[in-house]
Amino acid sequence: MRSLLGGVTLAGLVAGLVMGFAIAPREATQGNVQRIMYLHVPSVWVAYLAFAVVLVASIVYLVRRAEAADRLAHASAEVGVLFTGLTIATGSIWGKPTWGTWWTWDARLTTVSILFVMYLGYLLLRGMIEDRERGARFAAVLGIVAAFNIPLVHFSVYWWRTLHQPPSLVKPGPGTMPGIIVTALLVNFAAFTLLYAYFVTRRARVLRLEAEAEA
Amino acid sequence: MADNWSFVFAAYGLAVVVLTAYWRFLVRRERELSEGSQVLREGSGMSEQARHPSP
Repeated sequence: MRSLLGGVTLAGLVAGLVMGFAIAPREATQGNVQRIMYLHVPSVWVAYLAFAVVLVASIVYLVRRAEAADRLAHASAEVGVLFTGLTIATGSIWGKPTWGTWWTWDARLTTVSILFVMYLGYLLLRGMIEDRERGARFAAVLGIVAAFNIPLVHFSVYWWRTLHQPPSLVKPGPGTMPGIIVTALLVNFAAFTLLYAYFVTRRARVLRLEAEAEA
Repeated sequence: MADNWSFVFAAYGLAVVVLTAYWRFLVRRERELSEGSQVLREGSGMSEQARHPSP
């Protein structure tokens, strides 16, 4: 099952690369550097998804004390931090040629950095508390509190004047992107979602084996 | 606007390195733990035999 998921994920990533580099056209305003979007936007989608899963799994853990829910939250937070870091790094690389700077304290960039630091803190908290049950409980509370930052990140481009462009797909009103670019983006969304599922499955298994080895 | 391919390759290259490194970490850690638990099982099997020697 896991190797099937791995194979489908790999095929999805290859399809995403083909769509992003060979099928999608060169963007008229930014040129080919816009192709970073097929990596940057799916990365932040996975980060949102991962932290939403942390929220749900944390609530389930606090209600039922199910260790599987705690492992899911832990695995998802780690993968979320990985993809948030990737989002920040690829955004910075994209920002240099388009905005003329690697970094600016823009509302979107600042809120996503806060998100990154909060979940990094979540992982550090888990590592710092020796009592596994106590650590899981504290982490679950932090996992719920930190999730309130997700809408702040998403809507920051509407609430404040920012250099970062507003969302291109998830927004009210008709879309402005050509269909082929939307398709390429959706293929990459699907591929990255599969990659998220693959990483979380493997990480959760590693966490279970670690718990068994410690017992 | 210039195409800035170097920035495109830098972004994708970074992603490949980071994601591959994480995948390798997961595979290695899982293998270590699986081998460890196998050794533990075999060890407990041996001690079981030691406690009940066959005639």
